[in-house]
Amino acid sequence: MNKAPTRDRLSIRGSSKTVAEFFEYSINTILYQRGIYPADDFQQVKKYGINVLVTVDSEVKAYIRKIMGQLHKWLVGGKIQKLIVAITSKESGEVVERWQFDIHISGKDTDTASKETDTKTNGDKKSDDQIQQEIQAIMRQITASVSFLPVLEDECTFNVLVYAEQDAPVPPEWADSANREIKNPEQVQLRSFSTNEHKIDTLVAYKLDR
Amino acid sequence: MSTKSPVTPRYGPAFSLTSPNSHPPHPHHYTKDSYSKDSSFLNASNSCSIKNSLSDYSTADYSSFSIKSDFSKPKSLFKSPKKPQSVIDSTPSILQLNVVTNDWSSKTNISNNNSQLSPKKKKAVTDRFIPKVVGVTKLDERPETRDTSSDPRESLASSDTAVKKPSNSSRETLRSSHDREIADACGISLSHRILEFQPAPPSRTHDLRSVYNRPVKPSVAAVNRRKVPTCPERVLDAPGILDDYYLNLLDWSCGNQVAVALEKAVYVWNAETGSVGELLESRDYISSVKWSCDGAYLSVGLGSGEVQIWDVEEQTKLRSMFGQTSRVGVTCWDRHILSSGSRDGHIFNHDVRIAQHKVSEMNHHQGEVCGLDWRSDSSQLASGGNDNTVCIWDARSTVPKFTKTNHKAAVKAVAWCPWQMNLLATGGGTYDKYIHFWNTTTGARVNSIDTGSQVTSIKWSQHYKELVSTHGFPNNNLSIWSYPSCTKIVDVVAHDSRVLHATLSPDGQTLATCASDENLKFWKIFESTKKSAGKEGVIQSKEISTVGIR
Repeated sequence: MNKAPTRDRLSIRGSSKTVAEFFEYSINTILYQRGIYPADDFQQVKKYGINVLVTVDSEVKAYIRKIMGQLHKWLVGGKIQKLIVAITSKESGEVVERWQFDIHISGKDTDTASKETDTKTNGDKKSDDQIQQEIQAIMRQITASVSFLPVLEDECTFNVLVYAEQDAPVPPEWADSANREIKNPEQVQLRSFSTNEHKIDTLVAYKLDR
Repeated sequence: MSTKSPVTPRYGPAFSLTSPNSHPPHPHHYTKDSYSKDSSFLNASNSCSIKNSLSDYSTADYSSFSIKSDFSKPKSLFKSPKKPQSVIDSTPSILQLNVVTNDWSSKTNISNNNSQLSPKKKKAVTDRFIPKVVGVTKLDERPETRDTSSDPRESLASSDTAVKKPSNSSRETLRSSHDREIADACGISLSHRILEFQPAPPSRTHDLRSVYNRPVKPSVAAVNRRKVPTCPERVLDAPGILDDYYLNLLDWSCGNQVAVALEKAVYVWNAETGSVGELLESRDYISSVKWSCDGAYLSVGLGSGEVQIWDVEEQTKLRSMFGQTSRVGVTCWDRHILSSGSRDGHIFNHDVRIAQHKVSEMNHHQGEVCGLDWRSDSSQLASGGNDNTVCIWDARSTVPKFTKTNHKAAVKAVAWCPWQMNLLATGGGTYDKYIHFWNTTTGARVNSIDTGSQVTSIKWSQHYKELVSTHGFPNNNLSIWSYPSCTKIVDVVAHDSRVLHATLSPDGQTLATCASDENLKFWKIFESTKKSAGKEGVIQSKEISTVGIR
């Protein structure tokens, strides 16, 4: 029994690392797939058993790194509920696409979904391979989503939002913001993955072409 | 009073006292600056802090203020005053009771001291509050999500010790229920705050340099560019030289002697000593001169079709070879074989050692043969003619191996590449202006250059991967090209009229050109960087073999 909290602590850290890493790669994939940055700026790396494209532009790299650093801290503290990647048109400033990652923390959340995973994971702990498989499926889906997402005609940029707990420590780079939701969006729920501590749901909302 | 001032700022922010309805009954006469401390104090709810504070304040005052503080937010949040007022109107009596009892119950024993409160203090909350309060409420006109985080900060800033949030349970529930109401009305969730990473993402870079600053020509040209002198090293007179494109009247021997045919005479200029002498004078005009490979003999083609061989040192004619029926515009040596091309398109191979000198006859050209060159290994002969064709002959055969008809004008310039055995360069005349490069093993054309001018001769450099071509109208220039990139290294305007003939010195560094402006010019265009090249070149230039001429 005495050992348990230590292990928990460790597994939360490990799980947070997995989740933060997933966010990093999925943001990179989104930036590549949606053409936010030119394709020349990306390089293939092997990750999750597939080829993932990550930026090699030092500025973009540093920018994502900075976000991920803070995200990891929040994840370890269990302080965030959602991560949003909002893709906005540079010209109009309008949000055209909104990638939402819901973070459920096992045991803490009373969501039915997380309870489900709770009971599931309590029975047999998930192996790393299983988790990798699940993440791989999501990465594939993000890549495949290009087929149904409308073409981004304007030059676009992206913003990262976080739904944080009220008592979450906030570094100066982060400030309160509107939720940047799309009016009357088309929404597509992608796959989920769960570690022993976290469950991540992925959803993409986009403006319908009319 | 002085003891109180350091304590008072602890107790929460000063966003209280907005509704005029709930003003305390007693008029106060606080000075403006003392008021600000007290207004923040009035919002306090921590029981222990109240103990301290109540020693000076009336409980009635305190309770009424604290109620007001609860209702200050609606007022500030909603611009319309209606809603908060209605809330206050409907509930004040109950609330007031509640809070009062709470406050009283927690600190009844202390409340006795309140009577000692100075009348001065009691006047604190008068009309004067109102402008002050308005100022304070402005702070609250921020999104709901901000409030809770800003509260502790404000209180911390003004206090010397850490402070807890209000712990009074009833007020807590009151507040939260109220906040929820507001949050619902605003469509904001209280359970979280939405944070955005503020720095703008780096914009995608359009590096214009990569788009517009590409080198126009391959950079090879710049690398290969070297300094080439554009002035002739030496100029000699060549009076009376025949202005005929189809003749070959200039040659430089491996013995460093230059032979030039001026009309009916041949002159030999010794490049080492600078001495010049007439070698021969004939009855017919001279159409071609060529040194043998060892530099001892000179073949002379005449307008009559006769081919003579001269021993230069002895200044005597060794033999005359007949056979050609028209002028011999070009001759070429391969050890003991002398090839001659004639105006009627015949090429004869003469073995100069034997009496029956004609060993083979190669008939394919329909026009005058004006270019002839043996490959250095003697296995192939290239010929160019006025029928615009280039023929490549196997040494053992009398039918051409390849016949190339790409040129559109007479082919006078024919030259084998010294570093790649099967590479041949040929240049066309006025209507063609092209230099074509051939692979003589496969017969394929491997490269072409449009020179923009008639090509009168081509010479490959022995020191650089370059070749020089001489031209006629309009510039009468020399052009140096790098190969295989086929980029022009330099143009040198050489003569006043078309350059008729060109020949390379045995060391491969100097080019001699002759033009119908009657000048013989020497150009050091392939100056070698190797110091020894000058001497060695003389020996290396051609395989020296003894030729026995009967």
